[in-house]
Amino acid sequence: MGFLEILFSAGTLSQILTGLSRTTILFIVSSGLSLILGVLRIPNIAHGSLYMIGAFTAYSVISFLGGGTFAFFAAMVAAPLVVAAIGFVMERGFFSYLYDREHLMLLLLTFSFALILGDLVKIFWGTEFRSVEPPAFIQGSAEILGLPVPYYNLFLLAVGPFIAVFLWLVVNRTKIGKISRAAAVDAEMVSAVGINVGWVFAFTFVLGCFLAGLGGALIAPMTSVSLGMDHSLIMEAFLIVIMGGLGNVWGALLGSLIFGLSQSLGIMVWPQFGIVFPYLAVVVVLSFRPRGLLRSVW
Amino acid sequence: MRRIVSVLAGIIVVCCVASFAFAGPTIKVGIVDTYTGPVTTYTYDVRDGFKMGVDQINAKGGVLGKKIEFVVRDDTFKSDVGLAMAKELILNENVDILMGTINSATALAISELCKKEKVPFLVTFSKSGKITGEKGHRYVFNLNENTDMIGRATATVFAKKPYIKYWIAGDDYEYGHAIADAIWSHLKTLNPKVQMIGQSWWKMRETDFNPYITQILAAKPDFVIVATGGGSMVNFQKAAQATGFNKRAPFYQHTGIELSTLMPQGQNAPEGVFGTANYLFYYPETKVNKSFAADFEKLYGRHPKSGALYGYMAAQFIANAYKKAGKIDKEKFIDSLEGMALDSPIGKLEVRKCDHQIVLPMFYGVTKKSPKYEFLVGGDLVSIAGKDYMPTCEEISKARAK
Repeated sequence: MGFLEILFSAGTLSQILTGLSRTTILFIVSSGLSLILGVLRIPNIAHGSLYMIGAFTAYSVISFLGGGTFAFFAAMVAAPLVVAAIGFVMERGFFSYLYDREHLMLLLLTFSFALILGDLVKIFWGTEFRSVEPPAFIQGSAEILGLPVPYYNLFLLAVGPFIAVFLWLVVNRTKIGKISRAAAVDAEMVSAVGINVGWVFAFTFVLGCFLAGLGGALIAPMTSVSLGMDHSLIMEAFLIVIMGGLGNVWGALLGSLIFGLSQSLGIMVWPQFGIVFPYLAVVVVLSFRPRGLLRSVW
Repeated sequence: MRRIVSVLAGIIVVCCVASFAFAGPTIKVGIVDTYTGPVTTYTYDVRDGFKMGVDQINAKGGVLGKKIEFVVRDDTFKSDVGLAMAKELILNENVDILMGTINSATALAISELCKKEKVPFLVTFSKSGKITGEKGHRYVFNLNENTDMIGRATATVFAKKPYIKYWIAGDDYEYGHAIADAIWSHLKTLNPKVQMIGQSWWKMRETDFNPYITQILAAKPDFVIVATGGGSMVNFQKAAQATGFNKRAPFYQHTGIELSTLMPQGQNAPEGVFGTANYLFYYPETKVNKSFAADFEKLYGRHPKSGALYGYMAAQFIANAYKKAGKIDKEKFIDSLEGMALDSPIGKLEVRKCDHQIVLPMFYGVTKKSPKYEFLVGGDLVSIAGKDYMPTCEEISKARAK
């Protein structure tokens, strides 16, 4: 098959749709990581573990409520809140004491949290793989030009823009959002005008963790909820954040789009080596724009 | 000064007691395996099955008047860590036997060490065919199936089916490629008409299979061989269920009918998936299998999976080999383990003399709903006898001579 033939084949549309639904999860998780990186300057390695806890909590809520549409939406709200609460304890209880120390300390602390949270998941939920189903109205798949696209992927596609608009509103239209943007540029100046920077940091960290939890809850019906699901994601999320520009939420969106689409379209062109395409995209982007696509706040 | 003396005295007493304990009348087994991360769903079963076997043996007075005790080390899935732990167990703990691991690279590294140190090493979950194949030697035994055996067993099943156009997909790591290569090379020999129309390889722990599934369906293969392991087993089946993949293109997975894959999905696992497994707690429906499964469930509150059988049988083989040897001696142990055949929950298992590979049956079936359980089970089960899918001893010696 020629390249053009592949490009205009029936598979292209469904590949774009599934690629975009992948983008949604990547964006939700990496925007949280980027927020924390931008404002608090913490490369939060435990972000993946928080995502994993989000998925396990969603599993528990859905099984506790016995499945169904209500249980699903309850889990989508409860899981991010639980993770946000864990984030609050992490920030107030540990990170807040280390802001004047060098960044290496913070990095080590996030690493230890990744290990501790991973073990806590093992203690709480055990070692079996877990699985939850999407609610009945988004089970199965739609047929687009003869190829299946799962309704759940289409649901994610619809959720993505809402999250993006919500984040835009929080960051650009609320007072705390504006303060956190200012703190990202110059935390000292913000505290000099009498604002308690500590609470700005706490708010941002909790919001970032909320997003990690939401990403985990949303991926739960698509995959097996299991130990180790944090590892592959944290790598991808960091690459996206670096590609998009450190600390820039819109950069995270752009990075997620490139990552998600290059994967799904790459698989179509060359299925045997489909996995290299997103990483190739990262290399290309960073060769031309070493500081990322959009302005980095660092 | 007095305090220092009393502390020193204390240390000396503790050391004496400890050394007496070590020199005590026990057989010591060291286990190196991965107890962190997703593979624990398999390794915990090996450890718990082994403990169940050991406890039963010790309750009956042990072997040759000695109790079996075991120490466990977590290699966190890293080969260098595992190798260091194996060394520590040999040098400091003076273990009589080493056991483990789920990581084939670690198993091969420890196997080399055991060859040098002359310590028997029983492999309990690594699937690399190299362990008892080209890299095999006197001190290593494999007590579970390997990729070469899986390939041969699967090829014998599919060579009889009418499928011609195959697509191969899998996890892009050694286990995935080894399974796919083994199936494909044997399938081509048995049925020269088959063609491979394409391949896709995804990263380990891929969460979104839809882009791959769309691509495979667009190529319209007759049959798809899916070489996945670990968490990808469930992930792929979930994606197959959501897209109706199994209804458009029939596919096969080793362990596709196993409990570790089907139980998490409850009633929502895809039906009609072809799979093989080496242990199912509900099949064969014999008294000994039922009582083994019931004992395990009573102790640990869950159904046993294949790892539980391997761990349990490792304990039986250790006890019987020492009994036959008549003394605690590493070389005698190996001599008596060679060619030993024991009854197990799934029938007679034999440790083949020529390559130290266990000969065990393989169960082939198709996923289907069950009125008895809350999850899907393997249906239309067929047992493939171990001798029918083993490489011959000549093939092994040829591979080792290379």
